Amino acid sequence: MQGNDHSIVRAVLAGDKEAYGALVRAHSAAAFRVAFRITGNEADAEEIVQEAFLRAYQRLEKFEQRSAFGTWVYRIAVNCALSRMGRPEIEAEYRHGEETDAETKTVQLAAQDADPERVLLGREASAAQEMAMQRLTATEKCAFVLRHLEERSMGEIAEALGVAPNAAKQAVFRAVQKLRRELAPLRGNA
Amino acid sequence: MKHLSEEEQIEMYYGDGSEEARKHLKVCQECAAEFAKFKRSLDAIKSEDVPQRGPDYGDFVWQALRPQLIPYEKKTTGWHGWSWWKLATAAAACLALMTAAFIGGRLWEHRSAGPNDVAGGTNAGNAQPQQRVVLVVLTDHLDRTERLLVQLNHADLRDRSESAQLQTEARELLASNRLYRVSANKEGDPALAGALDRLEGVLAEIANDPHLTAADLERVRKDMNTSGILFEVRVLLTRKPNEEGGPKPAKGVSI
Repeated sequence: MQGNDHSIVRAVLAGDKEAYGALVRAHSAAAFRVAFRITGNEADAEEIVQEAFLRAYQRLEKFEQRSAFGTWVYRIAVNCALSRMGRPEIEAEYRHGEETDAETKTVQLAAQDADPERVLLGREASAAQEMAMQRLTATEKCAFVLRHLEERSMGEIAEALGVAPNAAKQAVFRAVQKLRRELAPLRGNA
Repeated sequence: MKHLSEEEQIEMYYGDGSEEARKHLKVCQECAAEFAKFKRSLDAIKSEDVPQRGPDYGDFVWQALRPQLIPYEKKTTGWHGWSWWKLATAAAACLALMTAAFIGGRLWEHRSAGPNDVAGGTNAGNAQPQQRVVLVVLTDHLDRTERLLVQLNHADLRDRSESAQLQTEARELLASNRLYRVSANKEGDPALAGALDRLEGVLAEIANDPHLTAADLERVRKDMNTSGILFEVRVLLTRKPNEEGGPKPAKGVSI
């Protein structure tokens, strides 16, 4: 796959624009998944995927053939998501969107679950987690998503965020500590 | 042993814990219970379901992206497109050209140079810049001399400091004036040599008197006709370098 990706990259750089389509098809799902997990918003995630592939195309000459294209574009997507979350107006919009999404999601859960008490608990837990995640900084949330949900190594996280490995580690630590503190009352109830 | 900190628990949870922490967890019930609680709390944090993308999602992204992409130009002229032997050939050609240019230049230099050039370096090509340097130096000397004579003609001779200043300047000019006079004689330039000779007399009178008084300066001014010498210096200064019959500064004065 990696070798194939590299030959596609060479073809694109040689003027075959259409060849880039194969790379987009192969790696857009992974880029969407991480973008959605970071932003929590479907529309934002889709925009991030397009932005990431556009940036990757524009910087294709700088792409080092020793790394995998998928990893490279994944990192670009993380960066796009991070910079999008860092923008105050987007952040406000994203938070507002998240609240709506959380509401929608709990409604969906309610329809699937017949036990009203469980529905209520699930709704409360989900909302609390959403709130706790929103209180993290953009870097903390990114680092946590990459470590906890995407199961990336500290080295990969550091590279994706453009920080030193120790800084990435500290961001994950801070995120975990904050989340546990925020969710402690819920655990007590449960 | 010290119990596990929260940071160590986080490291353990994500599989980055140290061997020591792992061993401690096996023997310390308190830490094991604490870690179990910790694990449960983190396990509970799950991602909300990522909306499923269909198999044609990649196509959808590509179709949206495609119009925005400008094709890369084929690298036919860039360095990257060159194979190693092409680069080597180009480098060898450049080297050959540079060598040919260097050798050609050296040969041309030898052919255009006359026998005198090699022996003494007195050809016209070398003489011109040297001449310019000499003329500048001589003009500078005459300028300074002119200022000194003007100062002498208009000085307040009762002012001791002014006299001392004149004497210092005269001493400095005297040595160089001698050299110019000798050179002018050698070059067969009687006008310049004569003027410099008369000037030397004035400079020597002023420079060598240990008790220069106002009366002495007045005597020099009158006896040696400094006004006349000043006139001569000004005439010399106005002559063009290649003027015929002049001090022939175009030839220059060897110093």
